[in-house]
Amino acid sequence: MPARNRILTLVAAAALLLAASGAVAQTYLDLEGQIQEFTLENGVHFIVLENHDVPVFSFRTFVNVGSANEVRGITGLSHILEHMAFKGTSEIGTNDKKAEKKAMAVEDETFAALKAERLKGAGADTTRLAELEAAFTAAKDAAREFVVTNEFGQIIENNGGQGLNAYTSSDVTVYLYNFPSNRLELWAYLEGSRMSDPVLREFYTEKDGPVTEERRMRTDNNPIGRLIEQFQNLMFMANGYHHSTIGYMSDIQNISRADCRKYFEENYVGSNIVVSLVGDVQFDEVQKYAKKYFSDIPAGNPQPVETLEPEQLGEKRMVLMDPSQPVFVAGYHIENVNHPDWPVYEVIADVLGQGRTSRLYKSLVKEQQIAVQAMTFPGFPGQKYQTGLLCFAIPVKGKTGQDMEEAIFTEIDKIVAEGITAEELEAVKQRTRANFIRGLRGNSGMASQLAWYQTYTGDWRGLFKEVEQIEAVTLEDVQRVAGEIFVETNRTVAIIKTEEAS
Amino acid sequence: MKQMNRSMVTMLLVLVFVTMAVAPVSLAKKPWEKIEIPELNEISMPAYERVELENSMILYLAEDHKFPLVELSATIDVGSIYEPADKIGLAGMTGTVMRSGGTQTRSGDDIDELVESRGLSVETWVGQSSGGAYLSAMKEDTDLGLELLADILRYPAFPEDKIKLAKEEEKASISRRNDEPMGIARREAMKAVFGADHPMARHAEYATIAAVTHQDMVDFHADWFHPDRMYLVVIGDFDSEEMVGKIEAAFAGWEKATVPLPADPEIPDFPRTVNIVDKDDLTQSTVFMGHKGIRADSPYYAGVQVGNRILGGGFATRLFNEVRSRQGLAYAVGSSSGTGFRNPGLFLAFTMTKSETSEHATEAVLAEIQKMITEPVTDEELAIAKDGILNSEVFSYDTKREILDRMVMFERYGYEADFLQKYQAEVKAMTKEQVLEATQAVWHPDRMTILAVGNYADWDGDFTVFGPVTMVDITIPEPAMEVPLATPASLEAGQALMASAADAAGGQAKFAGIKSYSETMVLEANIQGMDMTFTIEKQVVFPDKAHTLQKTPFGNMTSVISGDTGWSLGPMGDKDMEAEELASAKEELQTDMLGILRNLDAWTFQALDPREVEGKMCNPVYATGIGDDYRIIYLDPESNQVVMVEQPGVSPMTQAPVVQKVYIDEYMETDGFTMPQKIRLTYDDELFGTGTTESFKANFDVDMGLFTR
Repeated sequence: MPARNRILTLVAAAALLLAASGAVAQTYLDLEGQIQEFTLENGVHFIVLENHDVPVFSFRTFVNVGSANEVRGITGLSHILEHMAFKGTSEIGTNDKKAEKKAMAVEDETFAALKAERLKGAGADTTRLAELEAAFTAAKDAAREFVVTNEFGQIIENNGGQGLNAYTSSDVTVYLYNFPSNRLELWAYLEGSRMSDPVLREFYTEKDGPVTEERRMRTDNNPIGRLIEQFQNLMFMANGYHHSTIGYMSDIQNISRADCRKYFEENYVGSNIVVSLVGDVQFDEVQKYAKKYFSDIPAGNPQPVETLEPEQLGEKRMVLMDPSQPVFVAGYHIENVNHPDWPVYEVIADVLGQGRTSRLYKSLVKEQQIAVQAMTFPGFPGQKYQTGLLCFAIPVKGKTGQDMEEAIFTEIDKIVAEGITAEELEAVKQRTRANFIRGLRGNSGMASQLAWYQTYTGDWRGLFKEVEQIEAVTLEDVQRVAGEIFVETNRTVAIIKTEEAS
Repeated sequence: MKQMNRSMVTMLLVLVFVTMAVAPVSLAKKPWEKIEIPELNEISMPAYERVELENSMILYLAEDHKFPLVELSATIDVGSIYEPADKIGLAGMTGTVMRSGGTQTRSGDDIDELVESRGLSVETWVGQSSGGAYLSAMKEDTDLGLELLADILRYPAFPEDKIKLAKEEEKASISRRNDEPMGIARREAMKAVFGADHPMARHAEYATIAAVTHQDMVDFHADWFHPDRMYLVVIGDFDSEEMVGKIEAAFAGWEKATVPLPADPEIPDFPRTVNIVDKDDLTQSTVFMGHKGIRADSPYYAGVQVGNRILGGGFATRLFNEVRSRQGLAYAVGSSSGTGFRNPGLFLAFTMTKSETSEHATEAVLAEIQKMITEPVTDEELAIAKDGILNSEVFSYDTKREILDRMVMFERYGYEADFLQKYQAEVKAMTKEQVLEATQAVWHPDRMTILAVGNYADWDGDFTVFGPVTMVDITIPEPAMEVPLATPASLEAGQALMASAADAAGGQAKFAGIKSYSETMVLEANIQGMDMTFTIEKQVVFPDKAHTLQKTPFGNMTSVISGDTGWSLGPMGDKDMEAEELASAKEELQTDMLGILRNLDAWTFQALDPREVEGKMCNPVYATGIGDDYRIIYLDPESNQVVMVEQPGVSPMTQAPVVQKVYIDEYMETDGFTMPQKIRLTYDDELFGTGTTESFKANFDVDMGLFTR
């Protein structure tokens, strides 16, 4: 080897530390064997993967409820409840539990009166409406006196919590952060109590303020947000994917704390909750603290809700006249993530519209140069129920949604008529293997995957079966499934057409 | 600091972690405060190596045999701050086309096929002040991946078809840049704080993208991509010794850079301006407030970090508590401390709120900042902020990638390797007086420039409480017309159109007979917020003499060109014209509208398809002949009078390339000619000024004494 200026800093101290801690280098091959699990009596399911590299851990709490569970009148409630999970418990977030309870009751009464008057619409008495608004504002102000603002989040942050967040989808509500590992018991106390004892304080300020502003940000003031909400409304007429997770503005306004309480009690129950922890934790300690802090969650008996989407009898489409630039989206109904054809959908979506060698990228972006982006993915807006395979394209300047449509349908027709090549299928399989291994790195990513598979498929081991399921897909499967889903009557199209601003 | 010595590295290994328990803030312990918090397990710093190759490339390597993967990420000293102002987009597109366009021996499409069939990932990019390259490969593909990456970095081909593709992407993103309010706010806030032409704020336009050529990319790559400008972080399933050999071989013979890295542009510290983008389709306003901050090596660094942890850098902060949770004004609200490792950062605060509370929410945010510099934070707030920072320090060692990336950053920007430990110690010892001292030194709410996007008509206030308001026009300058190839027919039609234009203005023969003229014009312009009037008296003798007297608010200014010499006389005295200035002044005599009409034969005129000018369909004529620049002359289809002349120009304010348009709004009969009386001048479709011709006379009685010095 040629001479070089080299500063060797391989330090034995580190290796010694590692050896002293007794950690044995794990390899991904035996990762599955290192994953442990248990279920509490109330049904809360825990999955644990120890990784002692760094004294931190990541977790996910998956609650098996999302906007698809909502019925008319309470759209957006899963997401509001997610916000409320940061508002504390009977112990956290208040300076006077009893006084607060009374003040909240007054809030609820005045809101009920206000809502009743509002719902009269044009027939509402404006004087009375103004009085009720004033009383409601006063009641909110009174209740606020007993609030220690954001104490729950503050405890997490001043204990070193990182990445404190949560999200709600059509299918699930998910809570997450990363914590120093000496705070495992504190974590269990915090997470267990917000799953069993949320007070729903600041309910009205939160939904009328931040939640409403979030809808304005994500949907009303964002062209893709506007398009996607309307597209979803059109594509799914009957099942829970009909409405967006953020919910309709009027429902956000009208939902009451009692609605929220009821929804919480029905859905935040043991059998709906999966918790995964990955990092510097000991399995027996997790078990101990889980039992201590998560056992108050009632077992519950959540009933599955699924209205099946009736067979679509004709193509559906909409044109959104908008001041923004053109966008194209098309969706085809497909089965849910547990259907045997799911891996086939994944292969089709990959070959058609994922990566630089996909059919759509090669045709629309590279060759015809009519799009800057053209992609497909299965599972919009969720994966738990019958769902959609989505095609999404962004035209170059001067091209329209119509131009995208013709080019995309041409590529889809080719797959229906001729299937895909053996090389394309082999490349998907190779990518799946590589991506599977990449996905195993990192505490947070692993915690997410384990809880996801447990919630969606009933067993976290699904993560380790993904590769073989894709391996099993044949060229014939692809052509058969393509022929089934890519038919005109199964299709919904939505485009943005640019309208000059006035 | 180009070399890191061993002792610094070792220091990182013996760091002791402060694991502060939550400080009790009241006498009675709350339930969660009773939970025992044991000592944190010790952090074992991962083993790694730092190697400097003979070509000065710096490598940081850490083995990780858990997964059969190799990940390599390069940081490169290159960026869009180094690209010329008339080719904005060059740097970013060079980064894109390096990868998409392939190399001298492999096409980009072949690389795509290879990479996708192996599940590899190979990428390159150039950002504002750093570039990068990335490789992720299964262990067995390491050699292939490394070979590809080195080939792409060293021998990119920049083929025309992939340049076109990159340009289409850039054009699409320009066309979409006003679709999302957050995007508008961020972009315009940067321009408001830095100045629109600052390399860290300016952005591409259709014209700057169109100006980029294959040769520009070749040159940019040759100028900036060198091994001594590169830091590689390599993590994964390999033997370090072996990997160093492979990397050395892959980059052997690559030349070092010949010139040192230029200094970064200074970050200005302007007083507050208030800028509004009015967009009437919005129901929510996005507001940014900001000014120049400090570098992380400032003595106030730790103080403002703690301060920002209390103000708006987290979940339970004053901004979050007050603006979001208590007042319910916003979903998104927060602030950044204003520190940067490379350059002084920007102290920024932002919020998004409904139209009806735009001014109120902005005031609420500024009030919280004001409070931070007026009175000390509470003991409780200080304790909580310190706990938060110190307890989360362990996450700085969460992954090997994070640790090594940070080392690269410290080495690039000249920080000691124990920066974090010193910072941690400072935070631990911080008092509330020190926090106040730091925030007072660095944060100045009254100097924060404000940028707000929303439906102005619906706002609760017009923002003049914050200062004089400037409306920002975000209209995207349209690309210059793409001129189709000339045909004999379009050339003939063009000549005929211009002949009729000359006829409409007084007659071809009459124009051809102009040997001299004198003209007085009054120009009114708004310059940097001030209305100004200029009177311009011009006497021209063709072909190469002109005497121009400009009466300006600052005094009179005379410039004279006379054949091969030119000079100016003004308050600053008598001064020779530079050769370049003289040439351009002489060219102007031949290329303004009168110059063109009196000398039609010197020009090539090509008729283009009719195009709308301010609501009226016109006949455009593409004119080239004298000088490098084209003109597009738009003629009224009925009268054949000139409606507008469009040409590339330079902004008199910023010297940036712009599209200049002169609209002729009114004509007058004078001296037997029909001459423009009222004109409007725009740069990139922004009005610069209006002009009125007071008098015009052709072939006047010349006093040749004007042209002698």
